[in-house]
Amino acid sequence: MRILVVEDDAEAATAMVRGLTEAGHEPTHAVDGAFGLLEAQKGGYDVYVVDRMMPRLDGIGMVETLRKDGDQTPVLFLSALGEVDDRVAGLRAGADDYLVKPYAFSELIARVEALSRRRETGSVATMLKVGDLEMNLIARTVHRGGKEIDLQPREFQLLEFLMRHAGQSVTRTMLLEKVWEYHFDPQTNVIDVHISRLRAKIDKGFDHAMLQTVRGAGYRLEA
Amino acid sequence: MKLPSLLRRTPFRLTLLFLALFAAAASAILAYVYFASAAEARVNAEREVGGEMQVLQGIYDARGIDALNKALIDRSLTQSAFLYLMLDKDGATITGSLNQSPIESMEEDREWITFPFTETDADGRVHRPQVRAVQVRLSGGEMLLVGRSMGDTEAYLARLTQALWGAMGIVLLLGLAGGALVSRNLERSMGRLNKVVTAVQEGDLKARAPVRNSGDELDELGAGLNTMLDRLEASMASIRHAGDAIAHDLRSPLTRMRAKLEVSLIDAEAGKIDGVDALQLALDEADNLLKTFNTVLAIARLQAAAGRTPDPQLFDAADLAADMAELYEPASEDKGLEFSAEIERGLMIEANRPFLAQALANVIDNAIKYTPVGGAVMLRARRRSSGEIEFSITDTGPGVPEADRERVIQRFVRLDNSRTEPGSGLGLSLVGAVLEAHGGRVQLDEGPGEYGGFGPGLRVALVLPPADAA
Repeated sequence: MRILVVEDDAEAATAMVRGLTEAGHEPTHAVDGAFGLLEAQKGGYDVYVVDRMMPRLDGIGMVETLRKDGDQTPVLFLSALGEVDDRVAGLRAGADDYLVKPYAFSELIARVEALSRRRETGSVATMLKVGDLEMNLIARTVHRGGKEIDLQPREFQLLEFLMRHAGQSVTRTMLLEKVWEYHFDPQTNVIDVHISRLRAKIDKGFDHAMLQTVRGAGYRLEA
Repeated sequence: MKLPSLLRRTPFRLTLLFLALFAAAASAILAYVYFASAAEARVNAEREVGGEMQVLQGIYDARGIDALNKALIDRSLTQSAFLYLMLDKDGATITGSLNQSPIESMEEDREWITFPFTETDADGRVHRPQVRAVQVRLSGGEMLLVGRSMGDTEAYLARLTQALWGAMGIVLLLGLAGGALVSRNLERSMGRLNKVVTAVQEGDLKARAPVRNSGDELDELGAGLNTMLDRLEASMASIRHAGDAIAHDLRSPLTRMRAKLEVSLIDAEAGKIDGVDALQLALDEADNLLKTFNTVLAIARLQAAAGRTPDPQLFDAADLAADMAELYEPASEDKGLEFSAEIERGLMIEANRPFLAQALANVIDNAIKYTPVGGAVMLRARRRSSGEIEFSITDTGPGVPEADRERVIQRFVRLDNSRTEPGSGLGLSLVGAVLEAHGGRVQLDEGPGEYGGFGPGLRVALVLPPADAA
């Protein structure tokens, strides 16, 4: 995946480029919003990772310009400002996701990968299928290997999110943000308990466990 | 007080300005009265002179020059109101009460003239009134002049002018004195305010202006200044407090982290753990530290907001409570606690949703953490009879002794029996800060009492004003 990293902090940028390369991606680095804009306009990127505060053209200005030009490439905003209004301002400017510094690298990779996937599955599907697991979004039913699985509404949403990002790591924070739509620190790993209940329903009685724990990152649904 | 410094004072300058305006107005009135009176005096004189002339012409026309002459002599002796003069056609005086002839031309007929006349009154005072007169050529060629003094008007105007000048003098004197007085009083009041401003400039935030509750503008200004300084002092104090607190709050976790890193370094060197494990430990500790740091920052920000909710949203507290119950129920049951929720519908509040969610999460998390297996946790959301919205979380844990309830909301306070559980000791402080920023409060009470061999439990209530009151 080709990723444009727009970040004025040289050390942070170096670490990010290295980490993304090791995760199997092709990152390119631009040192500020103006260079970032020039690079983005060359095209061919799957995701932009943009720092919010930069000299010359800041992240908001850069993303606004890109969106005005009709560039719909997903944008992940990075910011040291974690306040709600900053998040809202970032998303309003056209960013697709927002990550507050400092962040765990696994969180960054997971979000970048989730963003690229989002573009691919942007169409309105009525069925999701991962391996022998099938989800009917209209009838709100789930089957695995032909056997119906009874899920609570929230479990259904949780599984839908995991299926849409099948094969990718998703973090606990992402699940709380995208499935429950809350931005706070739940202290204990409440998400883990929800995941283990879901796992009991979709994996119990099957020889192959689909819902896997990724150490230091979160979870991944594998076919 | 020196004059130059007095002249620089605003009230005194205003006084001078008003005095100048007054003088100009007085002059204008004087000029108006003068010209109006003069004009009226002239008109009156002309009317009377005209009448007298008519009478005299009648005598002349009916009975001739001698009769007129006699009439003029009679009148000069009995009447002082008019002045007469009759000249023959060569300009020689026939008769008259004027020693000098004011007639300049024998050619003019019905010509009005004004001239000064010197007379001495009964008290021996000399007046020089203006006389208004008309000269008429009689049919025999003689010239008759009848005049009347406008002297009364002149004297009246002179007295009026004198009075006005006198009044102006008094006004000037009183005005200057008043101006100086007002200026001095104002300066004294302003001086008190200035002293406060200077003191604050020099760093004394405790300086306050004296307020007399007289309700005047300066008093209001002083009171306003005091309120401003109170606010400023409070926010300075809270910034200083936040700074101190952050420094203090971060020292203990940093110390802990350093100690742990040192221990894992020793362990790694001794081969008890490998380098990756040591780094993982270090990373976990760094994450914990960041979490603490974020919490401390959030508390500082909420406290700096001083009762104003940051980024408020209007939403139903019941939805939030239901979400929290749904989120925490599995974790609670996994621990072997009975979890229940009782939520009234339609609890509109205006609040910062993420912060309030965080506050609820902290309280629920504490309840789950400190309640022994077999106990129960209950979340309730309801409208109090006072209209306030209340979230309450009741557990059957050991509770908090009454004496400690105030204390646990302070930072880093962890009761002895909780030291074995992980946590920063900031959880309830954040809850307190969130509620305070929403104009609400946190209440800690005893729980349901003994329950399954434990108790008495704890009931934590988060009370918020309803949306319409916010």
